[in-house]
Amino acid sequence: MQGGLFGAYLRIDLGSGAATRVALDPAIARRFIGGVGLGAWLLHHETPRDFDPLGAEAAVIFAFGPLLGTPLTTSAKYALVAKSPLTGRIGDALSSSRFAVEAKRMAVDAIVITGCAARPSILILDEAGASLEAADDLWGHGLSVSDAARALAARFPEHTFALIGPAGEHLVRYAGVTNDGRHAGRGGLGAVLGAKRLKAIGVRGARRVPLADAAKTIALSKALARRSLGPATEKYRELGTVGNLAAFNRLAALPTRNFQASTFEGAADVSGEVLQATRRKGRGSCTNCTIGCEHFFEVTPGEAPVKAEYESVFALGPLCGVRDPEIVLRASRRCDELGLDTISAGGTIAFAMECAERGLFDGTAFAAEARGLRFGDGARLLGLLEDIAFRRGALADLLAEGSRSAAARLGPPAPDFAPHVKGLELPGYEPRALQSMALGFSVGSRGADHNRSGAYEADFSGQVDRFCVSTESARQAIATEDRAAVLDSLILCKFLRGTLVDFYGESAELLAAVTGFDCDADELRRAARRIVLLKRLFNEREGWTCAEDTLPERFFTQALTQGAADGAVISRAGLARSIAAYYEARGLRSDGTIPAETLRANQLDPL
Amino acid sequence: MVTIELYGVPRMRAGRDEVAVEATCLGDALAALGRACPVLTPSVVDGPRLQPRYVVAINGVQFTADAAHPLRDGDAIVLLAADAGG
Repeated sequence: MQGGLFGAYLRIDLGSGAATRVALDPAIARRFIGGVGLGAWLLHHETPRDFDPLGAEAAVIFAFGPLLGTPLTTSAKYALVAKSPLTGRIGDALSSSRFAVEAKRMAVDAIVITGCAARPSILILDEAGASLEAADDLWGHGLSVSDAARALAARFPEHTFALIGPAGEHLVRYAGVTNDGRHAGRGGLGAVLGAKRLKAIGVRGARRVPLADAAKTIALSKALARRSLGPATEKYRELGTVGNLAAFNRLAALPTRNFQASTFEGAADVSGEVLQATRRKGRGSCTNCTIGCEHFFEVTPGEAPVKAEYESVFALGPLCGVRDPEIVLRASRRCDELGLDTISAGGTIAFAMECAERGLFDGTAFAAEARGLRFGDGARLLGLLEDIAFRRGALADLLAEGSRSAAARLGPPAPDFAPHVKGLELPGYEPRALQSMALGFSVGSRGADHNRSGAYEADFSGQVDRFCVSTESARQAIATEDRAAVLDSLILCKFLRGTLVDFYGESAELLAAVTGFDCDADELRRAARRIVLLKRLFNEREGWTCAEDTLPERFFTQALTQGAADGAVISRAGLARSIAAYYEARGLRSDGTIPAETLRANQLDPL
Repeated sequence: MVTIELYGVPRMRAGRDEVAVEATCLGDALAALGRACPVLTPSVVDGPRLQPRYVVAINGVQFTADAAHPLRDGDAIVLLAADAGG
């Protein structure tokens, strides 16, 4: 019996209102697993070459994994895949909880949305069909994401929603999509929905996900849940990701003041340890997750607590030179309510702060609004978040395009220190102090990314010299990219990875129990390579060249000067050698393009 | 004398930021940490061994799991979770 998959996806054309159930070849589902892999394949097939990510031809894809809807812990996730309006390259973001489960229970493996609605709309999906409802009461009124979600729940109480905030409506190129308080944050996919005038998608499912071997799936689920409560996940359970901050600061790996430094004098104030000791209010988890990594902190007494993650605290704190935890937590909440990606918002504002301090706005159309902007100014940080989400004023309108675009407008030397790769702002891993991660950032298909490359694991392991990028870095970067491709396609949470002793073998066992595929570890290894290449292939189709596989100039020319990373700088030649080693190991040409024999060897040639 | 700096869960469990111990190699320092902070045994250290989910960086620079790694007077051992995912 086939389990885990329904063998079909739903194609919605917002222009015509047509909803079509499209059969999905089981061989394709198996070859690309599901989630990010399936979403990337659908993006190839549902879009023409060189399309505008904010145009009617653009497709946005909610792709589900074969494990979604099973009892397996952390499996309640979906992948959102589209061409990123921030990067012009593939954008894939994950989110979790009830929306994912309800959507798949409509008996589909993915939902592909194309076209553009004539007016602001809500897409309502269930087994009765698809309908477009007016969203005039929710669009253009400045409603926060949570207020809009409450209004949707009151109007459609039986549906579960993914929606955009004001930032998505205003096509901010790093707007995210929110469901159940969780966010598909990176790459601006909320702007893709905004361009389609789609405020929200409501789903309601009634079908159970079939299990090929129910008894084995349940036994594996119980075993994995037990392991998820063990030492491999205790950091996430007891402290959360914000526990990275103080340690990264000690290792001089904490990006500070737009990557001008890698230690922050105010790190202790916003560290996870101090937040836990002084502001802890509770803990939560996604639907069907036994880890419970969400930690909530008090902003001010009597106010609702805020869920804080390392990436949000780093980007809105040290990166902007802000050390007041109340400001940082408030900024994180406002990003969530406005529908902004915290990393890109913080990165772009930090970039603007440096530009202002260096006088680069002087004499420009932005000079008056940028006057007095400085690192550490929490009030300006909060004000800019609001202005960016609504594109209020020339400066905010500039920054709503992201740091790459803003730097191009300002001209030299701004592009040298705009903190992005391929247009995606860097997360909180200082590349000069974590140089295998520097390679991971450079070659990442969605840009500077800590979720699709975990090359930092090598930097933190002693397997490599973290201050030197090497050919070993290439091997490590590939290994972590491949594991991420499997987890993002099955889909399981990456915080589980430490519980899987035999990663590919155990993952194959889970997939086999749910689907009935006679798959093994080698099949998943091949699928991982195929999915990584497929994403590169999409980028190649959309105009990527190897000139994009690099880092901002700052990291090659400005050595760090503090703490354990004193003197660290990235060797341009060293990075080039490691990129060449990466290309070779991936079966790519020396210019990073994919030759026909590699496509054939990875069963990608029909594309 | 060497200093073991605690980050994350070990700091929360031990209720202190750092522990000073007499040791000439990493294994001796970890064993001394376990004696000074029994709450960290065996979840973080087990005698001279570090549990697999933790790593140390000597003076915040060089990561190692080698119990025989020699230490010098004044060295700082930075102890943190191996999972750096955020």
